[in-house]
Amino acid sequence: MSALKFPRLTLWRVIVSLIFAAGLYAAYLRFFHGFVASTNLSDTVPWGLWVGLGTLCGVGLSAGGFSIAAAVYLLGMERYRPVARVAVLIAWLGYLSVVVGMMYELGLPWRIWHPIVMWNRHSVMFEVAWCVMLYTTVLTLEFLPALIERIPRPHLREIFSRWHHRILTALVLVGVLLSSLHQSFLGGLYLIMKGKLYPLWYTTELPPLFYLSAIPAGLAVIIMALYLSMRSLQVRLDTRILQELGRVMGLLLAVYGVFRGVDLIRSGNAHYLWQPRAETGWFWLEITLLVLLPVILLLSPRVRENPLKLYATSALVVMGFMANRINVAVTGLQASSGVYYFPRWSEFALSFAVIAAAIVAFRFAVLHLNIVPRETGGIGAVPASEPSAMLFPQLRPGPLPSASRVS
Amino acid sequence: MRAQRKAILVDLKRCIGCQSCVLACKELHAFPDKPEKDLSPTALTIVRESHGKFIRRFCMHCQDPTCASACPVGALKKTDAGPVVYLADRCIGCRYCLQACPFQVPRYEWDRLVPFVKKCDMCAARLAKGQVPACVEACPVQASQFGDRDEMLQEAHRRISEDRDYVQSIFGSEEVGGTSVLFISDMPFEELGFPVNLPKEPIPAIAAGALKEVPMVVGVGGSVLAALYWITQRRQEVALAEAEESERAKPAKTGSRGREEERS
Repeated sequence: MSALKFPRLTLWRVIVSLIFAAGLYAAYLRFFHGFVASTNLSDTVPWGLWVGLGTLCGVGLSAGGFSIAAAVYLLGMERYRPVARVAVLIAWLGYLSVVVGMMYELGLPWRIWHPIVMWNRHSVMFEVAWCVMLYTTVLTLEFLPALIERIPRPHLREIFSRWHHRILTALVLVGVLLSSLHQSFLGGLYLIMKGKLYPLWYTTELPPLFYLSAIPAGLAVIIMALYLSMRSLQVRLDTRILQELGRVMGLLLAVYGVFRGVDLIRSGNAHYLWQPRAETGWFWLEITLLVLLPVILLLSPRVRENPLKLYATSALVVMGFMANRINVAVTGLQASSGVYYFPRWSEFALSFAVIAAAIVAFRFAVLHLNIVPRETGGIGAVPASEPSAMLFPQLRPGPLPSASRVS
Repeated sequence: MRAQRKAILVDLKRCIGCQSCVLACKELHAFPDKPEKDLSPTALTIVRESHGKFIRRFCMHCQDPTCASACPVGALKKTDAGPVVYLADRCIGCRYCLQACPFQVPRYEWDRLVPFVKKCDMCAARLAKGQVPACVEACPVQASQFGDRDEMLQEAHRRISEDRDYVQSIFGSEEVGGTSVLFISDMPFEELGFPVNLPKEPIPAIAAGALKEVPMVVGVGGSVLAALYWITQRRQEVALAEAEESERAKPAKTGSRGREEERS
């Protein structure tokens, strides 16, 4: 619309532009001067920030997509329907950023298709590669309606929606299975690091622990995205959905915390909790941010019912989750590698640029597609109906059925 | 088949640190012959000094290699002859093999724009021609020997039982399920920096245990989800039918909706 006008200069736009510029320069270093010029990786630390923050967090924090999709489309939890598209959008962008990340993470990215034809079914990474590949496709299909709706050909739209409607349930079901597999197998990647990964993180239960932590962390990202969208993108949403998400998140985090504690005791590694080592500090930081603080805070209705406090709590969860994944991928391997690794600036720059791109894309999608109900915008741009009503015309989304339970 | 697998026996008591094996390896691969402290893309074997002993280091060629199980595209393979070989054409550069190796052996060409993994392949090409590995051939004191794994194990047992100077164990006989490179020494392996705390069972088995769950997760998970979906659908159908019925009986029904809106 106002494409010819120079965009207004705001603080955020300046920051994002700087991040993109730094990311571009880091990408130049990576592709024209190699790993040596762009990373601090070495033979003893072959995986660093790009795996820890990029892949592990990128996939993990996108877990809200399959969770909400399962709740709405399989379990009939209608109260989450208004946020279903946001969840799918976040997950889709998350996986796309992981795929983009692969392009600079892999030494030979032009061979990224190799796992399709070159199989090794003994490899956990092979399973992860296939699941991520398939699930990214599933997410694309799940999100497609939001794009197809914008096609100005009613006839085409109708054909598509009828076709899409038929496969949606199967699509969601397959998505849940694929997610369950690879969310846990990301932890499974570290099963073979027995003796290398510090005992506070190494356990044979890594796969279920990765799975159990990803779901609440994915919900935390949805809460944060919704809160910020309500604040600055004129999104209008019943805040009881946020409350409900917060409640479930707290519950799942408590389950995760108990599971983790029991597993530490069971594996006989509980005495590592008190050793005067750097790892101990990182562990407690992680657990405090991911489990202890959020669970205590979410017990209080004053936190759950206040969107800002809920947002802050979710931010703690996301930070704790990142700490957990980076601890597994980097900190927990430091001692056995014998080498101190701290990411080079260009590793940060590339990761941040991809995250920033995902956020910019999210903002664009919420503003220009029918993702969540918004207050402004022409009637044509944002239909007053629920976003996904079109997919389930027979199910009229009424007011929150959970209203009585939440209060 | 396993009995025919070849192995290299390294006797650290015999090693005089002459670096002949290192140079032979570099020559074979046309690497620059500058001395290197640790394994690198241009040093697939090294001999370093520690506590007055010379320690040779190179790929252990595990019987059940963790790297081969880890590689998503099968670029690392245990051959029937014994060597663990690297198929560069398959590699995508994920470096999971570097993470996986319990001996931290594979090296990566970090300074190249088209980087590959580098590690000893026990001269698999020479073996196919009936030759012995270049390093073994070069050794002037037979500190490195080559033969069937069973024979090498027997030879190692013979030496350590005949000479009490030796540590009474063979490194590689059991570690991570056994390796095709065996070490005997007259100084404790621990002091020489060998990873002595490795499990006796093959590491890939741990991951295999998790992978075994896949059909179960898909089968049970899929059925449960499908069942839940069916139940919720049915419940909604029933609710819809009931609502229609009550609507027919009492057309004006705005009470409950109005109340809920009040509360929000």
